Amino acid sequence: MNNAKIIIMSFFVLVVVHLAYAAVGCTLNDPERDIKRLFPGSTGYKTFYITIKEQGGEALKKEIELELGDTLEPVYESIDVPYTFYTVLKGKDVIGYVHGVNQKGKYGGMQLILSSDLDNKTIDFYFQKMSSPEAGKFMDKRFADQFKGLTLDNFMKNSASIDDPTEKSHEDFKATLRGIKKNLILIRKLYLKDGHRFSPETSGKADLK
Amino acid sequence: MKRSFPGIHPRVFLRNSRKSKMRRAVFFCLFGAAISLVSVQAVFGGASFFYKELNLMGGYSTRDKWVDRNDDMLSSVGFEYYGKFSNEYGDYMTADLQMSIAYDSTKNSRDGWGLQVQNAWLEYKYSQYTKLKVGHFDAAFGLEPLLDTHSTLLQTLAGQNIGFTRDWGVEYRGLYPYFDYEAALQLGSGQGTIRRQDGSYLFTTRIGTPATKNLQGGISFMNGRVLKPDGMRVWPKNELLAEGTTTKTRVGVDGQYLYGPYLFKAEAAYGKEDKNNVLGCLAEIDYTLPSNQKCEFELQFKSWLNDLKPSSTEFSTMALGVTYKLTQSSTIRAAYFHGFHLTDDSFREENKVIVQYYFLGI
Repeated sequence: MNNAKIIIMSFFVLVVVHLAYAAVGCTLNDPERDIKRLFPGSTGYKTFYITIKEQGGEALKKEIELELGDTLEPVYESIDVPYTFYTVLKGKDVIGYVHGVNQKGKYGGMQLILSSDLDNKTIDFYFQKMSSPEAGKFMDKRFADQFKGLTLDNFMKNSASIDDPTEKSHEDFKATLRGIKKNLILIRKLYLKDGHRFSPETSGKADLK
Repeated sequence: MKRSFPGIHPRVFLRNSRKSKMRRAVFFCLFGAAISLVSVQAVFGGASFFYKELNLMGGYSTRDKWVDRNDDMLSSVGFEYYGKFSNEYGDYMTADLQMSIAYDSTKNSRDGWGLQVQNAWLEYKYSQYTKLKVGHFDAAFGLEPLLDTHSTLLQTLAGQNIGFTRDWGVEYRGLYPYFDYEAALQLGSGQGTIRRQDGSYLFTTRIGTPATKNLQGGISFMNGRVLKPDGMRVWPKNELLAEGTTTKTRVGVDGQYLYGPYLFKAEAAYGKEDKNNVLGCLAEIDYTLPSNQKCEFELQFKSWLNDLKPSSTEFSTMALGVTYKLTQSSTIRAAYFHGFHLTDDSFREENKVIVQYYFLGI
């Protein structure tokens, strides 16, 4: 094996054995269409990728699990999964946020997308992917409308009353509630941390309004 | 001044020396491309990822005996840079560069190494509903632009239909409330080397339902004069299996439906290849194990008729695959393929088993 080959292989082996983060979590399949539909007045959006690992590591993970009331799944919800957050803009002004999470359902993965205003109050919610046999009922507008105006506090205090639209998919209904709660927790813990919006240009912080 | 190397013929030394220089050039090219993109992106702002990639494969075929490849897919090591460029008005451009060094054991050890480019494109957001892409990317036909088949053992019909999955060119993408459309004009050069000869070109267009529905469908058209490359290498330049182009005209339909743990996929293409009428179809069912969702089974049937006349030849493959996700970054896959090649006077079969370890992590 000549030197060039050794150099090339060494470089790539070094690169590959470097400790791995995970692939990106839930991103919008069609951000242009989805953000315009969720925020008709928007003119653009900015994408951010944030991990639990870089924002607080194991200690933050424990905080999230405590608020969620459940442990995070070690493969799909590991601390190095980069979560994707979209800051929605009208001109240069921020008018809202969009964030999606993956959630394990009874038959496969679900992708839950949440849009919220500057007070982190839910504006809309939809499934980007829904594997339940009763997917149609979950994806019905009447089900999504029940989440409008809710905040994380409603979930923490159990003051939200959401009806299960299905007959045989209660497990997927519970998974949906877990996914939405997890989504709201992640927005607060990762993106709107300590009263500031995440911004890599200003050492991770920017004013909220 | 001429230098002498005892025991090595000057011509052999010169050739070896050129190859050594070429390998160094490949290395610096890869390294330079990655560093440049990361630097440019850091200057202009935005979010990005730099993934490391490793693809290891091995298996046994009744035709080729022990193999370390699956069709054009080789064991390889490389990287992917994916970045968003943004300013105070939001994201305006996306870049993707995915390159690897692959080893082809069917060539001699000196010629086996090569540089492959999977993705190399820039996509500019022209308006909120339109995008313009330039570089090396999927042709806009059938299921291929919707699925990430870069690392999977089971492939779409693109290999038989177009002859390759990606090519160099430009693409225009647009969104309407109820459907998406994309149109691509590419060199017809085939995956790998940038080349154009014998008037080669490839025009493809697809109109489909948004990618966010459980039920999706699309219709595609293709017209082109396409070259036949041998493999996916960019450097050293991959060779052509034929000097001239093949004229292709096609119409295709595709669909996907997610129902519970099942994902159904299907596509069909019909048209002309030079003077022959050709027809191909694919049907696949993926099943995610509800009790262990890291595990997925795939069953696929693929068939391609080179000519619809009675003396036609048919290539068909039945494949059964299993995918297991070890971590967010690591996946192991295994697949059994039963292929049969039917002509008017012969029938040949091939059984093949491939096992793969795939890593893609930051």
